[in-house]
Amino acid sequence: MTLCRFPTFQVAIRKGLFWRYLEPNHRPGPYVQPDIGNPCMPMHFKANNRYLIRIYYYEKRISLEVFHSLSDGTGALYFLKTMTAVYLRLLGHEIPNGEGVLDITETPKPEELEDAYLRYASSKIGRPRSQGNAYRVRGTKEPFYTLNIICGVIPVDKIRVVSKGYGVTITEYLNAVLLYALLQKQKSERPFHERPVTLAMPVNLRSFFPSETLRNFISMVYPSIDPRMGDYTFEEILQHVHNYMRYYINPKFLNADIVTNASVQQNPFIRIVPLFLKDFTVRRFYTHVQDGQSSAGLTNVGLIKLPKEMGPFVERFDVLMGQPFSARTNCAIVSYQNILTVNFTSSIKETDIERYFFRKLVQDGIPVKIETNRKMEE
Amino acid sequence: MSYCVNCGVELDATAAACPLCNTKVYNPNQPVATEVPTPYPTVKGAVEPVKAKEFTILMTIILLTTAVVCVLLNVFTIQIGRWSLYVVGICAMLWVFFIPLFFPEKTSIYTNLALNGLSIALFLALVSWLHPNNNWYEHIALPIVILGTLLLEIIFIFVFMLKSSMIVKAAVSMAAIAVICVATEMVIDLHLRGYFYLRWSAIVLTCCVVIDIILMTIYLQEGLRAEIRRRMHF
Repeated sequence: MTLCRFPTFQVAIRKGLFWRYLEPNHRPGPYVQPDIGNPCMPMHFKANNRYLIRIYYYEKRISLEVFHSLSDGTGALYFLKTMTAVYLRLLGHEIPNGEGVLDITETPKPEELEDAYLRYASSKIGRPRSQGNAYRVRGTKEPFYTLNIICGVIPVDKIRVVSKGYGVTITEYLNAVLLYALLQKQKSERPFHERPVTLAMPVNLRSFFPSETLRNFISMVYPSIDPRMGDYTFEEILQHVHNYMRYYINPKFLNADIVTNASVQQNPFIRIVPLFLKDFTVRRFYTHVQDGQSSAGLTNVGLIKLPKEMGPFVERFDVLMGQPFSARTNCAIVSYQNILTVNFTSSIKETDIERYFFRKLVQDGIPVKIETNRKMEE
Repeated sequence: MSYCVNCGVELDATAAACPLCNTKVYNPNQPVATEVPTPYPTVKGAVEPVKAKEFTILMTIILLTTAVVCVLLNVFTIQIGRWSLYVVGICAMLWVFFIPLFFPEKTSIYTNLALNGLSIALFLALVSWLHPNNNWYEHIALPIVILGTLLLEIIFIFVFMLKSSMIVKAAVSMAAIAVICVATEMVIDLHLRGYFYLRWSAIVLTCCVVIDIILMTIYLQEGLRAEIRRRMHF
């Protein structure tokens, strides 16, 4: 019922001679299945009836996994909210549309299906892609298909008081805590050469450009601290992150970022390169260059709002970033009403980053409740 | 509710240890809950295997058509000897090589290796049947194919089945190279001359033995391994 309203999710990925493309998928499914302990498994394009989304249930939880070429967090959230509303309606509750719940009876708007990158790429110059090599977390790799989750549940009012006390927003505060944790980790390893600690953070471009697209519309920013310049105190990290966000996150800089990405996609010489060469080059570029330019990923989906009629049925939201290529730890933050969740996902055994991160929050007087899918060793 | 004495974070009622520092939970007032569900499922998932049906059909038709067309050409047009049997043999051998791609979830790597060895042996048997010449198949080809398959099986067991270190895997591979070279020279010598004398394979054998001794020394000396790891920045 919901999927028909979201044609960008009802697709299969196919291989062409020059690029992969998405085409409408009318096969049966995707079917709801019991949740598993290792979510965000790699997706074979031909498995799951070629659908690129998975829907799970566990106790009172509904989980949605989306392949990133379909949509970003905001688009996926529209889908999840609408699907949950439809489910509640089927149970006999009156749930209105609005606040991200789309009307499943109306036809999808063309604006929801557009490629917003091309529409808003108007800057005459792009910004350089390279950030320089960053500190890379090293750890003991878990077997393939393992995704270790450590979730911290935090009251929003408590964290808001602390971040206000520092004079920054909650996102900036959590950014600074993660940079602080990564700096601590690097220091504990006593490296011969220290490297800058950099976060890869997606920014929702819908806040800056008036697009209603349900497809991807994000850009990346890279807040960074260079310990070679000297030891940073936590307050200095906060100040740096605060200024970085003010300086870089604005429509002009973000537009230049879009142009950099769109120019690669539109370059006629790149377009005619056969797919297998593109695959090989992009894979090597990602694993050897792009992945090495940030120490961890951090995404903040922000405060989620729902129609108030759904309030009694929804306790909290969680966001997980998928399995990383390298031994890094990714962090995803989301808040709903008074519950903020910080989910760390990694494929390594070590939990140092998570420990430094949550201990810093506890030191600042923020109560944290930890949940995990890890099996702790005896 | 229990808190970690080390990190100060609240723990889930089902947690027996702190997920951040692995400190065990000892709370006499609230023992670890075993009845309530854990925050995450304990069942592990696996990706649904992909059926390569289209690819299997396509490759089978290509190989089958090639074989049939060549046989027809041989029978009706180019009637010089029985050349089409080579093409039929090669097509059959290639089909066996493709089995892991056709049925990825059903076959093990060891079975595939044995099947590959068998298909090569059968193809060479076909060639030998077309050229029945001084028993080269029984004296040279068959022993080398059997030995090569066995050695590859052993190497694969060390690489995939036993959790041996990189050094042991390298040492086994070097030993296999030495064995196959010596065996090749031996069967050729015995077939051509009737006696066996180590010549070129002696050089390979010496190199492999030296490398194996070095590798095993490194493997057995923990200090040496640590030193190499440091110098090579592992």
